[in-house]
Amino acid sequence: MSSSNDEQGRRQFFARAIAAIQAAIGGTLGLMLGGAAASPAFARRQENWWTAARLATLTLNEPTPVVIRVARKDGYTQVVDRRTVFLVRSGDAQVTALDSTCTHLGCRVSWDRESKQLKCPCHGGTYDHTGAVVAGPPPQPLATLATRLDGDLVLVQI
Amino acid sequence: MRRGGFLDWLDARTGLRAARARLLDEPLPSGTGWWFVTGSIVLFLLTLQFATGVLLTMYYVPSPDFAHDSVRFIMQGVTFGRIVRGLHFFGASFVVVAAVVHMLRVVVFGSYKKPREVTWITGVVLLLLILGFALTGYLLPWDQKAYWATTVTINIARSAPFGEYVAGLLKGGEALGSLTLLRWYSAHVFLLPTALIGFTVAHLYLMRQHGISGPIVAADGPARPFYPYHALKDTIAIAVVFAALLTLAATVPAPLDAVADPTDAGYVPRPEWYFLSLFQLLKYFPGPLEPVATIVIPGLVVAALLALPFLDRRPERHPRKRPLVSGGFALLGMGVVSLTWLGLKDSPPEASEQWSPLAIAGREFARDERCTSCHRPGGLANLLDETRMRKEPQWVLSHVRDPEVIAPGLRPPPQGGMSEAQAKSILSFLQEASAGEPAPAVSSGIRLASLTLGRYCATCHTIDGEGGNSAPDLSRVGATRDAEWLRRWITSPESVDPFASMPPFGETLTKEQMDAIVEFLAGRK
Repeated sequence: MSSSNDEQGRRQFFARAIAAIQAAIGGTLGLMLGGAAASPAFARRQENWWTAARLATLTLNEPTPVVIRVARKDGYTQVVDRRTVFLVRSGDAQVTALDSTCTHLGCRVSWDRESKQLKCPCHGGTYDHTGAVVAGPPPQPLATLATRLDGDLVLVQI
Repeated sequence: MRRGGFLDWLDARTGLRAARARLLDEPLPSGTGWWFVTGSIVLFLLTLQFATGVLLTMYYVPSPDFAHDSVRFIMQGVTFGRIVRGLHFFGASFVVVAAVVHMLRVVVFGSYKKPREVTWITGVVLLLLILGFALTGYLLPWDQKAYWATTVTINIARSAPFGEYVAGLLKGGEALGSLTLLRWYSAHVFLLPTALIGFTVAHLYLMRQHGISGPIVAADGPARPFYPYHALKDTIAIAVVFAALLTLAATVPAPLDAVADPTDAGYVPRPEWYFLSLFQLLKYFPGPLEPVATIVIPGLVVAALLALPFLDRRPERHPRKRPLVSGGFALLGMGVVSLTWLGLKDSPPEASEQWSPLAIAGREFARDERCTSCHRPGGLANLLDETRMRKEPQWVLSHVRDPEVIAPGLRPPPQGGMSEAQAKSILSFLQEASAGEPAPAVSSGIRLASLTLGRYCATCHTIDGEGGNSAPDLSRVGATRDAEWLRRWITSPESVDPFASMPPFGETLTKEQMDAIVEFLAGRK
């Protein structure tokens, strides 16, 4: 009876040792392979200031669409994205930059001169010149991007 | 739900517990010792290759345009990427060694004998598949070593019967290029793994079908279940191998040569060490005899391995009582080892890992605002450390000398280009950097001397194969000229030789620059 108990104890000890070693190997591999696979999920994009326009070219309280070339790393290579931003001059030295992405489902909004509104072609989302929602399904106003002036140049942070 | 309720439910639906018992409770003959862990090690390493390989495919691009860059990105830009590639790269060597050790264990223990002939044959096929993985994986980084070793492999194939067709099949196109890379990639990640999984399952099934052969001389005592007694031995052995592999992968970066250059006549291709014996064998069968080394001898060895259980049919398992088999394998082993050793001895010296003086200077020049106004984080162009060198060298030289020429009107170009010597230095730096070689730490003296060379001397002089070619090579100038002579010459060449055509630099260089360049050149012996 006692020798059978000893054997049972030995088996249990062996089984625990196997589990511990395999857990160590699996954990190490899991950390490295998981880290390599999942690390992009935690990457934060680095923001930079990009020259968008000259202040003198902007009309007061009217969104002016500008296309900004944003260079970014894409893995092993570098690509240049073209981002459309609406610049709204609201004073002598005050400019707001509105992202042109509709906050509903991500379509591209455009400025309608006649109604003086920013309109989304997809589901009828409508915003005023400050980016506030006027009508339609958008849940929140258009995102604003940080701006600063460097002399006559308007810089936008993207 | 009571404890264990879910497992009971699952077991009732799937028969999980019975399957687990079938898998783990196999009775092993008494005396089954540590020699019987070799198969589990191979299985573990193959699984590890599979897991790391899947990870690599998330970042690797099988195209000559991007393959090298993507491998470099894995090494430098992916979290744990360097270790994952290291595990895969060194793991390949570990698999080859482990598979051969496992085969030798089977031979020594006579485990291939009736009724395990088919198990043995599947094992030989698995060994060939593993070598196939090594061969196809070799091309994928698309570096110099990959390109030229594959060129040699394809040319060897031409010596086989219907060789031109075989070579065409391997190339997939007119020349070694994108079609070849895709085809070898496809073989490496789809065809070979499918075959490997199939044969591994067959090998394991047959192993379980016949049970393991156990010790040569049966030991007294009852058979014991695989789990946990032998499973612990397996697990410990696997842990030791994994620790060794991980240490290697974490401490030694897996090599990556410069990007493949089909025009480079100076590159001496070398195969990976496990093919070195075959490579060396080739040297003893020149000309029309070449197929003897490439086809006949390897073919005979494989045929003999496949036929082994049918040639040695006596039930006797002790190696001393099977002198022909033991002797044959000893001879084969000695042959492979000596050929590998001769091949290693015959290898050309590894290219220096030190950066050339011009590359060191180029790295400094590239920090100039004229470069970093575009080549900066978030700038219009890549960081120079990460820039791909896919343009012609002449393009790079033109671009550095006058950035406007390359992209007129696209953006305000930086003011003023650089001198020809500086452009050559930056080219050298880009070549080193794109080869994935990390920048070396250099003393301030060497840095200053390199900058002086790059700024002034390299317009006319050559050093380490780089620079101009209208003045003498400075690579070994210290062997014939001492520091005193060099100082006088650089300060005022006409004071040494009235007909000297080199301009004086006594007033151009600062005292520190002069001291650094004189000491540097005098040391080049």
